[in-house]
Amino acid sequence: MMSQKVLSPQEERILKNKGRVVFLDEKSRPRLERIYYGFCDEKSVVDVQRARFFTESFRETEGQPLTLRWAKALYHIAEHIDVYIEEDQLIVGRVGRPGKYGLIYPELDGCFLKQFIGQARDRAESPFDISSQDIGIIEEEIAPYWKGKTYYEDLSLSLPDDVLKVTYDPKDRFSSRYIVNESSAWRSALQWVHDYKKGITCGFNGIREEALKEISLLNDMDPRDSIDKKAFYDAVIITCDAIVLWAHRHSLKASEMAEKEHDPKRKAELLEIARIADKVPAQPAETFYEALQSQYFMQMFSRIEQKTGATISNGRMDQYLWPYYEKDVKEGRIDPSGAKELLSCVWLGMAQYQDLYISPAGVKFNEGYAHWEAVTIGGCDANGEDATNELSYLMLENKREFPLNYPDLAARIHLGTPERFLREVSETIKEGSGFPKLLNDEEIIPGLIAHGATYADARDYAVSGCTEVRMPNLDTFTTACPWINLGAVVELTLRNGRMKAYGDELLTVESGDPKSFTSYEDLERAFFIQEEYILKLAFKQQYIANRLHAKHFASPFGSSLHRLCMKNGQDLHSEHIDGGVEIGFFDFIGYGTAADSLAALKKTVYDEKILSMEEVLGALEKDFLGEEAIRQRLLHAPKYGNDDAYVDEIAKRIDRFGVEFGEKYSEKLGVQMDLRYVSQSSNVPFGSVVSATPNGRRAQTALSDGASASQGVDEKGPTAVVLSNFRTKNSDLKNRASRLLNIKMSPAGVEGESGTQRLTAFIRAWRDLRLWHLQFNIINQETLLDAQKNPELYRGLLVRVAGYSAYFVQLSPSLQDDIIRRTGHETFGR
Amino acid sequence: MGTVFNIQHFSIHDGPGIRTVVFLKGCPLRCRWCANPESQSPTPQIGWTKGECIHCNGCLNGIKDLNCRFEEDDLFWDTTAKCDAKEVKRVCPTGALHLMGEEMTAGEVMEEVEKDAPFFVASGGGITISGGEPLLQPDFTCEILKLAGKRNMHRAIESCSYAPWEDFKKVLHQVDYLLTDVKTMDDETHKKQTGVSNELILENLRRVRKEFPYLPIHVRTPVIPGVNDSKEDIEAILAFVYEIRANYELLPYHRLGVPKYESLHRVYPMGNAELDTEKYMELETCAVMSFAQRPLGGQYGPPKTTPRGIDTMLMGGAGI
Repeated sequence: MMSQKVLSPQEERILKNKGRVVFLDEKSRPRLERIYYGFCDEKSVVDVQRARFFTESFRETEGQPLTLRWAKALYHIAEHIDVYIEEDQLIVGRVGRPGKYGLIYPELDGCFLKQFIGQARDRAESPFDISSQDIGIIEEEIAPYWKGKTYYEDLSLSLPDDVLKVTYDPKDRFSSRYIVNESSAWRSALQWVHDYKKGITCGFNGIREEALKEISLLNDMDPRDSIDKKAFYDAVIITCDAIVLWAHRHSLKASEMAEKEHDPKRKAELLEIARIADKVPAQPAETFYEALQSQYFMQMFSRIEQKTGATISNGRMDQYLWPYYEKDVKEGRIDPSGAKELLSCVWLGMAQYQDLYISPAGVKFNEGYAHWEAVTIGGCDANGEDATNELSYLMLENKREFPLNYPDLAARIHLGTPERFLREVSETIKEGSGFPKLLNDEEIIPGLIAHGATYADARDYAVSGCTEVRMPNLDTFTTACPWINLGAVVELTLRNGRMKAYGDELLTVESGDPKSFTSYEDLERAFFIQEEYILKLAFKQQYIANRLHAKHFASPFGSSLHRLCMKNGQDLHSEHIDGGVEIGFFDFIGYGTAADSLAALKKTVYDEKILSMEEVLGALEKDFLGEEAIRQRLLHAPKYGNDDAYVDEIAKRIDRFGVEFGEKYSEKLGVQMDLRYVSQSSNVPFGSVVSATPNGRRAQTALSDGASASQGVDEKGPTAVVLSNFRTKNSDLKNRASRLLNIKMSPAGVEGESGTQRLTAFIRAWRDLRLWHLQFNIINQETLLDAQKNPELYRGLLVRVAGYSAYFVQLSPSLQDDIIRRTGHETFGR
Repeated sequence: MGTVFNIQHFSIHDGPGIRTVVFLKGCPLRCRWCANPESQSPTPQIGWTKGECIHCNGCLNGIKDLNCRFEEDDLFWDTTAKCDAKEVKRVCPTGALHLMGEEMTAGEVMEEVEKDAPFFVASGGGITISGGEPLLQPDFTCEILKLAGKRNMHRAIESCSYAPWEDFKKVLHQVDYLLTDVKTMDDETHKKQTGVSNELILENLRRVRKEFPYLPIHVRTPVIPGVNDSKEDIEAILAFVYEIRANYELLPYHRLGVPKYESLHRVYPMGNAELDTEKYMELETCAVMSFAQRPLGGQYGPPKTTPRGIDTMLMGGAGI
């Protein structure tokens, strides 16, 4: 209890090892360290093979059905892409050169390739190295083919003027305006999860048989069958052959290497790899090792197929791997430490893949090379009973021992979650690296059912991406969705449809000169005129994206692992899939900023009449320069995140307006559009176009993130943050999705056994309040400040950014500042 | 009605679980190390936080009776003038000049406390009434605690135990957990350092144990350099702690209250005193060891957050 600083285990390790990353599991440590130190210091490099072979194939298949073209391209890639087996690795199947690599998807946004080549090495956010030889391939083979054919170009040319104005600069369509940001042009599919269980248990030979059988049942007299469905099932067959071929090439490679290997231990390992890669994913897996390898082949093959948002997630690993693990343990084939070693090998493979965004907006939204390959553990089963098993605990233990930011571990919590699981989750969170994030079955499952899911499908959801969830056989909507800048909506309200960053141009509609408003109600009415107009543009944008998306992308591999696609003979990226539950979303970014801004004006201008609208607008225009007294007045108005009804009621109305808009117009769009609050790192670029706001925020600085309070204003502690979230939800409505909730605590706040109990209690209360998501940063502010000054000592420091953890020192300075400013709830008690 | 100077959520040191602490204004003691000097006077008073002042001069002619003026870098005002919280807020944009203490009804207090109820249930926490000194407003304290009781809240008070027994007793009927200070067993020192004798305090605590045999008592001693930082001091207190079958905890002296004295234009009575860390650790070890050797129950250390608060009951009347 002396006022010595309490450090989290992560901070202690960093201090002790001077930044060196250390693997804690004694037995596997030598292997894991050899693999890790083989790549950790290398720069991230672009690998062009995927793009090159994809382009080669596409050049040959013009005019054919898209899904078939995609399948042929996958086969061409599987045939020609270099196959690697890393030294010491037990799990194989990388899709790029040794070291840290990123892939290019020219069909998506290849129009940025030229710009990217010029800036890749030096850009502030997530730089990449690229060889001059590869630059040559891009310039000569890849970029020229895709000119005029990319999704991005099609989308940007298809947007009507009103939408275009808030999306891109009409004079330069490669430059984003960050008001209504489309996200479908920097990822070809929404966050996704496959039915891995099917792949592992049926094998791709089995799926191939299934496709053949479907073909035999087609009605040849019906062209919808003989043309469309036939093409789809043919595509599935080619894709099955492709992944089996690719795996088989690994088997051959391993055999070759085994022959030359002198070390008998490694030789045996290579022979085992050869045996397994020859068997899976073609045939059903029979052991834990085989099942894991089968899953990894699928996982990596998906990367070749699509640039899935956040990268394809891993589903409920503790569920589909459990029968194999249980059997192996019972029969003496594996022990917990052997299983952890194999899992760690998978994570090390993941860690070498770097999510490469070539468009400037893409990279600004997704800093830190982040890909959120969520692994879901815990939760309930189809019947509603608890589903946790020994593998769930093993994965938590593995997370505590494994120092990297992969996988993004997500724990599902429900009313029947055992205390043991809650406790181990708390202990893992106390480690301080932000894992696991928590998702609440009590909120998510009823929501999915309300959207049309069955109980069984809803209860089998898996976490995908930041905070999103997927029902692997029932979700069918794949077009990425728009993000809406609420900070901009505030500015548009105060500048009568204009923004300082874009001069005199009328961007939306005129909602009235704020100086003429005689009451707060006038102001709020104007705000909702702008919010509605922006929502209208966002929905138009999405309508166009949905249509274009199906014309540009196909996913025969993903489809082969989807019940409805296989049943209907439809590609997963079709505009509509019969029987599917189609759930999309739109994000509000800067929720706290907007609510606080309106509340500050209500308080100071209309209720207390301390300031006039003229004074506030004048101060905003000057970015508060010389107007500190006004800024202080605004800063001291009620702020969202403090469980203060004054501002929370306003926030709730902003939310309600959005959710009601979703309910009203989703049908016209053909997809259920849900309001979400997930910012990733977009609150930084969104803030960069918004001038000073009436919450006291200075121009160009970050907006509030997710559904969190504005940076540093949540002075009533973490319970108030949670309760503000709770009290601003409109739970009587359906079109609501995740709210990303960050809680930062100091290690002292969760110290010792009492701290574990407190954290567990905190999680229980969060669950009972039915909030969607919760994640913690357990770290001392001093650590972050020091890491900014001495990055070399903190290379291994992980922090929660949004729905993901990333290395702090790899983030851009402005995002680092943003994270530091999110309040640390430190001074509890006295 | 009572005078409250702060309501603090997510408090984790003032009783088991996650708690909300209500700080009442007014204290009969004048401990020289008091970290909350603004809590001593029973009535609302003006304070000024230098670090938050942006020298906008809004206060200078803002409230007439107050007669605010800067002398060099410091703000001075007429401390006897009465003024209203709204007025103060109106003249000062940053809250540097502020009114400490607010008249509230028990219902208003409960409305704020109850906000965190979901966390109380989950953690075995609840409400703690602290101060100042809650027993200086016994009826108000009782009223709040009764409202809390009707809401199934776990109820604690944090008291110096210096109050007429009848007041103490009345309040304790509404209390599940008593946190109290025993600063020193030496009466002369106690008088010198706190302004009052410790006789009433010790007598009260003995009566608490006698008349409330199952009430958990958690005794704390702030270890103050030169006042009670010897082994003998702590051993004497420990003997008393055992006598009343209480749990025990030492708290190290800290200087976090210094800026508050500045803002009240008061001289910090402790000067530059610092607590010797090593000495403190020795005392803590002594207390821990002493408890370890005790044949009958009781524990050393901060109030525990335990699974669903179950053993807050077990901790009751340690040793019985």
